[in-house]
Amino acid sequence: MTRKQRRLTMIGAAGVVLAAAVGLILYALNDQIVFFQSPTDVVEKGIGPGQRIRLGGLVEEGSVVRADDAHVTFSVTDTSNSVKVTYTGILPDLFREGQGVVTEGTVGPDGVFVADNVLAKHDEKYIPKEVAEALKKQGVWKGDN
Amino acid sequence: MIVELGHFALVLALVLSLVQSVLPVTGALKGDARLMAVAPPVSVMLFLLVGLSFVALTVSYVTSDFSVLNVVENSHSTKPLIYKISGVWGNHEGSVLLWVLILVFFGALVGTFGSNIPAPLRSATLSVQSWITAGFLLFILATSNPFTRLARPPIEGNDLNPILQDIGLAIHPPLLYVGYVGFSITFSFAVAALLLGRIDAAWARWVRPWTLLAWVFLTLGISMGSYWAYYELGWGGWWFWDPVENASLMPWLAGTALLHSALVMEKREALKVWTILLAIFTFSLSLLGTFLVRSGVLTSVHAFATDPARGIFILVLLCLFIGGSLTLYAWRAPMLKQGGLFAPISREGSLVLNNLFLTAATVAVFVGTLYPLALDIVTGEKISVGAPFFNLTFGPILVPLLIAIPFGPVLAWKRGDLLAASQRLYAAFGISLLACLFCFWLWGMQRVLAPLGVGLAVWVMIGASAEILGRIRVREVGAARAFSRLTGLPGSTWGTAIAHFGVGVTLLGIVTASAFQTEQIRTMKPKDLVSLAGFELTFEGAVPRKGPNYTEEVAHFTVRQGGVEIARLDPSKRVYTARQMPTTEAAILTLGVSQLYLSLGESRGDGAVDVRVYYKPLITLIWIGCVIMAFGGLVSIADRRLRVGAPKPARKSKAVAAAQPAE
Amino acid sequence: MIFWILIAALTAVAALSVLVPFARANAGRAGASLTGAAADAAVYRQQLSEVDKDLERGMIDAEAAKAARTEIARRLLSAADAETAEQGGGSLSNWPRKLVFVVAAVLIPAAALGIYGLIGQPDLPDQPLVARLSAPAETQSVATLVARVERHLADNPEDGQGWEVLAPVYLRLGNAQSAAQAYFNTIRLLGPTSKRQADYGEALTMANSGIVSADARASFEKAVELDPKNAKARFFLALALGQEGKTGAAVVAWTSLLEGADPKEPWVPAARMQLAELKGEPVPGQAGAPVSGAQLPGPSAADVSAAQSMSADDRTAMIRGMVENLAGRLADGGGTVDEWLRLIRAYMVLGEKGKAEEALTTARQNLADNAEALSQINAFARDAGL
Repeated sequence: MTRKQRRLTMIGAAGVVLAAAVGLILYALNDQIVFFQSPTDVVEKGIGPGQRIRLGGLVEEGSVVRADDAHVTFSVTDTSNSVKVTYTGILPDLFREGQGVVTEGTVGPDGVFVADNVLAKHDEKYIPKEVAEALKKQGVWKGDN
Repeated sequence: MIVELGHFALVLALVLSLVQSVLPVTGALKGDARLMAVAPPVSVMLFLLVGLSFVALTVSYVTSDFSVLNVVENSHSTKPLIYKISGVWGNHEGSVLLWVLILVFFGALVGTFGSNIPAPLRSATLSVQSWITAGFLLFILATSNPFTRLARPPIEGNDLNPILQDIGLAIHPPLLYVGYVGFSITFSFAVAALLLGRIDAAWARWVRPWTLLAWVFLTLGISMGSYWAYYELGWGGWWFWDPVENASLMPWLAGTALLHSALVMEKREALKVWTILLAIFTFSLSLLGTFLVRSGVLTSVHAFATDPARGIFILVLLCLFIGGSLTLYAWRAPMLKQGGLFAPISREGSLVLNNLFLTAATVAVFVGTLYPLALDIVTGEKISVGAPFFNLTFGPILVPLLIAIPFGPVLAWKRGDLLAASQRLYAAFGISLLACLFCFWLWGMQRVLAPLGVGLAVWVMIGASAEILGRIRVREVGAARAFSRLTGLPGSTWGTAIAHFGVGVTLLGIVTASAFQTEQIRTMKPKDLVSLAGFELTFEGAVPRKGPNYTEEVAHFTVRQGGVEIARLDPSKRVYTARQMPTTEAAILTLGVSQLYLSLGESRGDGAVDVRVYYKPLITLIWIGCVIMAFGGLVSIADRRLRVGAPKPARKSKAVAAAQPAE
Repeated sequence: MIFWILIAALTAVAALSVLVPFARANAGRAGASLTGAAADAAVYRQQLSEVDKDLERGMIDAEAAKAARTEIARRLLSAADAETAEQGGGSLSNWPRKLVFVVAAVLIPAAALGIYGLIGQPDLPDQPLVARLSAPAETQSVATLVARVERHLADNPEDGQGWEVLAPVYLRLGNAQSAAQAYFNTIRLLGPTSKRQADYGEALTMANSGIVSADARASFEKAVELDPKNAKARFFLALALGQEGKTGAAVVAWTSLLEGADPKEPWVPAARMQLAELKGEPVPGQAGAPVSGAQLPGPSAADVSAAQSMSADDRTAMIRGMVENLAGRLADGGGTVDEWLRLIRAYMVLGEKGKAEEALTTARQNLADNAEALSQINAFARDAGL
């Protein structure tokens, strides 16, 4: 092979690998990203069952009901609307009524949000950024953030 | 007094770093040895000054000097001593100071031990390192001064975030920073070489130990961070694809690529342009990580309390360093001469392949980390990119790379023979195929990916060893000869084999722990029993206990296997007094390399408690593999050949004489 | 003084780290320093010997070794050429000599001291906690003294007297939680008395934002058991009945408490107000700020009595503080109907009708999905003329 051919082979191989990688990334971005929604979004936009979303807001006061084997239900609210959530598992340490929370999962056929992941803040200074902004939209949050 | 002395030392370091930024590089460009001679002592002096300042801050933490705002905000007099010390870098201000300390530490290392590096390159490198140092010292003094004082000190501090009060915090950030910031010196070498216009095979040889050192620490730092998150957060996961984790993974991927491409540059003087670019990118990704963690643009477990002014300052530094170095690169790179030739199937070819895949993987992580941010800015839409995205992109990109790992070291330089190489690997291939089939037989066909993953892991491990075994050729030369060959092998060969073996070990851990983890979630009353993976756990009841700065509810569990008690586990729920903040302390039982992981949920009024138990087979291999990789890196650094002695004043005739036999 | 000597020494060493190597290095290029080309050549010679070794070990074959040697030799030659060229290079200028001396001896100290002068606080000594705690008592603040007692108690947790001294101080400093803990320890170590039980209950109540909890009530009941005349305990028990909505029992309790009470006792007006409110009578005493304090179920009687011994301005400020606390809490996290009603009522009492209306709107939004709560709020708004 001449120098030029070698170069072309290399560049060709690199091109194929990179194109495959870019294709993969684009495909995954189309398919695997999860949108953040507030309870109002869920109610108004009518998120269909089975679509994976992140639901964030405040845990409604008095809504947390615990059952056996770590089943728990609670409502996530942005003060205008609220969505009922069920979850099985250990809740984060800083999960509290009236505090910010982000849950990830799908809306079930009965309109109850089935979460497989619940995130609360990890520090008393920290409120999930998306939650803070969604709440700001509702005019509730008064942080300096 | 010591506090103010530390503060002054920091200011003095800033001034001195500005001097260092100018004098040696001027000397290198003008050929003035006196100016160049300034660089090494000043680099040591900078380290001493920043070190003094760091010690001063540490002293004020240890003595609970609440006239220092930073101590008030992050410490508490009842905190155990070790967390008083580790608390120094458990906050934004202190951790940037540690960042700069490591920056000047690497400068001092090059200043002290870099006597084999030609003076112009060394002085220019130290100057470039000082540009970074000056930038970050300015950042500290202008926006994040840890020495801000209070005229009327409070009597008690706010304590450190309890999640950070853990031995993990004492170890993980320093290791990670040494890695992260260590790539700064590679960056400085690259920029210095571009400034001086001398970029050749020798450059790669000089830079290699520093790159390796940074890489070793980054590997350890990331794996320790992963283990820390695993046991401290109580979620049982070991990698969350959290933006901050990604921020440390990106420089690691780029740095790994850099290690490999620098090898080609050193041996064959090829890939020069690419290697220099990688050196710039690796550190740029470290800077980007720093920016992401501290500016608050991304939501993360690790995010520090943020301040927009800091974000903007770091963004400016980021643009300055990345933009400046890339501009310099664009100007200088076209002047570089073409390097050595090689066939696509060759050692060089395999290393290029390695670089391709690692770069693609870095891009995937980069996109996944920054796409949500970009989308938020452009459309205002909030999305999250989580594990599914990364599994779908990162995984497939890495698989071909892993398959190719054993081939690289057995291919010859310049022009390789794939067939001959394959012949040397047929044993490894056979064993991994057997392992794969055995797994299919063991687990059946429901999980197709797991046996394939195990097969791949075994392939990487055995393939890496085959490289060493192939070289000693026991059958041909006999045991005694073989042993002497083994010890005679250069450190870098050993290092390669060990590090590649480590990759296989980590992969094995990832595959088995992800595919065969079992878990149970239960509400347990005292004397209740839960069984999992052949273990029986009995809840013996919970008792309150008081620690130095927390109170906790400890749940006692007895673990039995086949009716025999094998261990007791005591997970707990803590409440840290000063911040009234709860944490979960998981209990972990290590059995061989597998682990039983027990985490507590809410406790109920009637003495019952929610419990989550996992059995994670072979999970510790994930971190053991990383330690093996790092060890491989160390073995490689120890290679005597990297320490090219300072030459005696070279005579021209001698050089030519040495070159003649080869002509 | 020592501080400035150290600063001077540090600065001097820094300046010398620039000056000494500069002065010692030969002005020429020879000396210890290494030129690029010579170092390159050293590396290539080393590479050549490595090729030999690799060949010897059988790691590469003869053909590859030959190719490698040729290539390295080519690099070596070009390095040697470069070295010659460098040697032939022009002589060095002397321009920076004076400049470097000025930079090192003047600029470094001046800039460092200048910047430090702007941002440093050289006159502020270190203040390690141990030293502060062992300083003479009269020079210390209350907080420091509390910390000293705390330290003592951390070392001697069984010292009941210590806890008894500390408890009321905590309460005065507004740290009801710690006060309750301290009273608890006092009772545990020194045994229960009626007064201690009542004080413990009071601390618990204050820690619970004025609501008498079950624990607190048990403590008050114990206090009354030990001394049926304990006015504080009876006061809070009556308050508890009112909070639980047992109006009839509460009226009886307040009435019997006020019977034969010395009207000069600080708690008497508060008790009268509670009674009047329960009966639905117009509240006795002057209208305005102090009365509003009693109308809020939130603040405990201790707060109220504190409010009465304050100046009018302080009183208003305190009440405003409480109201703002409540408002903040509700803004952050929803809140119950009762809390919202309390907030709106508080604004009305303070004469801030605008804010009351605002709170009313927010409350309606927040409780939109709770029909019962809404009707309660609407009824209240009608009564209040909002």
